[in-house]
Amino acid sequence: MRRHLAALLLAPALLATAACGSDEGQSPNAGEADKVTVGVIPILDVAPIYLGVEKGFFEKRNIDVTLEQAEGGAAIVPAVVSGQYQFGFSNIVSLLLAHSEGLPVKMVSNGNNSTGVDGEDFAALMVSADSPIETAADLEGRTVAANTLQNIVDTAVRASVRKAGGDPTKVKFTALPFPEQPAALASGQVDAVFVVEPFQQAVLGQGGRTIASSYVDTAPNLTVASYFTSQRILSENPELVKRFTQAMQESLSYANGHPDEARAIIGSYTNIARDVVARVTLPKWPAEVNRDSVQRVADLALEDGLLKEPAKVGDLLP
Amino acid sequence: MTAVLTRVGLALGLPVVLVAVWWFASAGSTDFFFPPLRTIVEVFGPTWFGERLVDDVLPSLGRLAAGYAAALVLGVGLGVLIGSNRWVRAVTEPVLEFLRAIPPPVLVPVLMLVAGIGNGMKILVIISGCVWPILLNTVAGVRAVDGVLEDTCRTYRIRGTLRWRHLVLRSASPQIVTGARQALSVGIILMVISEMFAASSGLGFTVIQFKDGFQIPEMWSGVILLGLLGVLLSMLFRVVEHQVLSWYHGSRTAQKER
Amino acid sequence: MNALLGLAGLLGFGLLLEVAPRVGLVPERYFPPTSTILGELAGQVGERAFWVAVGDTVLTWLLGLAIAVALGVVVGVAIGSVPLVRAATSSTIEFLRPIPSVALIPLVVVLHGSTITSTLILVVYAAFWQVLVQVLHGVADIDPVARDTARSYRLDRWARVRYLTWPTALPYVVTGVRLAATVALILTITGELVIGSPGLGQLIATARQSGAVPAMYALIVVTGVFGVLANVVTRAAERRALHWHPSMRAEVPA
Repeated sequence: MRRHLAALLLAPALLATAACGSDEGQSPNAGEADKVTVGVIPILDVAPIYLGVEKGFFEKRNIDVTLEQAEGGAAIVPAVVSGQYQFGFSNIVSLLLAHSEGLPVKMVSNGNNSTGVDGEDFAALMVSADSPIETAADLEGRTVAANTLQNIVDTAVRASVRKAGGDPTKVKFTALPFPEQPAALASGQVDAVFVVEPFQQAVLGQGGRTIASSYVDTAPNLTVASYFTSQRILSENPELVKRFTQAMQESLSYANGHPDEARAIIGSYTNIARDVVARVTLPKWPAEVNRDSVQRVADLALEDGLLKEPAKVGDLLP
Repeated sequence: MTAVLTRVGLALGLPVVLVAVWWFASAGSTDFFFPPLRTIVEVFGPTWFGERLVDDVLPSLGRLAAGYAAALVLGVGLGVLIGSNRWVRAVTEPVLEFLRAIPPPVLVPVLMLVAGIGNGMKILVIISGCVWPILLNTVAGVRAVDGVLEDTCRTYRIRGTLRWRHLVLRSASPQIVTGARQALSVGIILMVISEMFAASSGLGFTVIQFKDGFQIPEMWSGVILLGLLGVLLSMLFRVVEHQVLSWYHGSRTAQKER
Repeated sequence: MNALLGLAGLLGFGLLLEVAPRVGLVPERYFPPTSTILGELAGQVGERAFWVAVGDTVLTWLLGLAIAVALGVVVGVAIGSVPLVRAATSSTIEFLRPIPSVALIPLVVVLHGSTITSTLILVVYAAFWQVLVQVLHGVADIDPVARDTARSYRLDRWARVRYLTWPTALPYVVTGVRLAATVALILTITGELVIGSPGLGQLIATARQSGAVPAMYALIVVTGVFGVLANVVTRAAERRALHWHPSMRAEVPA
């Protein structure tokens, strides 16, 4: 039912866009703007799309964006596939898993990347001040908190363990939302946490130590997450997807070039305190997906047994 | 003979029809989220009757049993204390009514702060939800002890343990059982919910992992398993209840027939 | 007198939770004192987002309850009035009823995402059985003499439902509504908390996400107040609807 409804809603949009050709889609006189809903996670990583909406990068391409906040990539993927959202934001491991299970998803734009600088990333594998753990290899037999399992986080942590010479299969993971990880680490319920900003600041604030920048260990300039759509939208309205990609690229470049504005917008859609926002390490927002890093993650996911067979990365990439 | 057949037919008829409808209606399904029932059944065995039985299903049930048992002891104990003293009852009643009215799952985030994320927290969550129906029903049951019986006890100078066992607990037991039954369904809910929050094992955890890994037939099999467990536990409860309350049901039937 | 004692109990409870963290009996970070919680609550009450969430929660709750009651009564009377149908469905009902509604969470999330629809499905599923079972008990409770009387006066089917089935079943229906209201509230908040559909539960989840402990407690207090309200209102309705009834029946264990 919902699907038919979505098709009905999209049909006029299709006609309107077909009528106005495809020159950048910048024809505000072409009637109604395409209404799209994008599923995002209320974290730092999606600052560019909030900024892009505010700056009118979507509006000038005749896209009327509504941003819907969801729990995580794993929740956004089904919503995009079932047509509840037209686009979504998800980490690439969830996308690889979904793709390998036969879900018709397709990346349309880069999301965000690690800074690529060891020790200065927006995410880190951390332990408490008095922990005997020195390197990721010491995590064998220990428990690590990850926000959800089977996504980029546990894949990246295993990459760090592997890089440090440890056996990643001997690391235990517990699913724990980022906000609770600092407290769980402090009270010794978990031996290590993998946190992103602003929780990295929280752990640092309680004296925690970084033992690895796992996103950096995974691949150089790793693409952590990306924006995606469903194959149906892609085949029914390729022109809309194209305009969305262009708007996204402009937003990413803008955010990358204007970190202060990115910080300001983060304060508007999260509850992160102003002084913390000023301190956090921001991710990088290149306009293009780092294809090699996606392939590398797919290889790691296969090695870890998350994927049962080699992923067709080429089919997923934009 | 025919009577037995009719009864069996009536009991099994509709379920068989429903399952058959599901089986054939879903047979050719290409919808990713509604896999054919055949696929779900095929993955059910390999999914649950291997390591996961020991690693996930049994720990979940163990936590449920521990939490439920603790809630029973706590609820009946406190309930008897509160119910048998008019003053205590009057003072605590609004507080208890309030605490009971809080939907138990919202306590999960709070208890995680306090008790962390281990088994302790999950058991505490189950206790904190199960204890109220038992406690309040015990209070009500103890309060409603038959006055004549109470006087009789007094006349015969039945006191102490004997009085508690044979008068108070016995006459409150139908109410306690009602509370215990409510608590069981709350307990199952909380067992699942607590594992959805912070876990590395358990039924609720595994089902969510299947969802996050887009293993939809496995996820369906988990939903079905949870349903079967709910049914099984409620059947078990009925057997126990029948044992505990046989005297009560007997006297009720006698009253009705009179 | 009892009311005074009860008030004293509430005040004492509040005082205990005020003093315990202040004197360091429990860590203040995890157990904010009562005054902090109430202050936070006062702050929340002044916010628009709070009232939007309250509106969403109440909407989900009442809508779910209404659907469940309507379904439960219609299905219950339909099944209960025909002995053969009742016999044929009883095993199915006994099987479906204990299925914990939270088992459906992954399913509804995958199918409907973090929407009110998802939560509504859970609410309706859980509350429906409470009503249905009570209605079935009620319909079965019809006095044989009254039934025979109705038959000898040749009341038609509709009149029998109107003058015989309905008055007999009403006490049970009201009890069913009371039980269902509580269950529906629990599932509404649970759905919002776990699935993330809009409402008070989602606000609690957000407060947890941002480590706002006092806000979390304040919102939990609000859910408790809703629970108490649900009890008080449905109990009052029960008394009102049944004041004519010879015995305010004991509820049938469901």
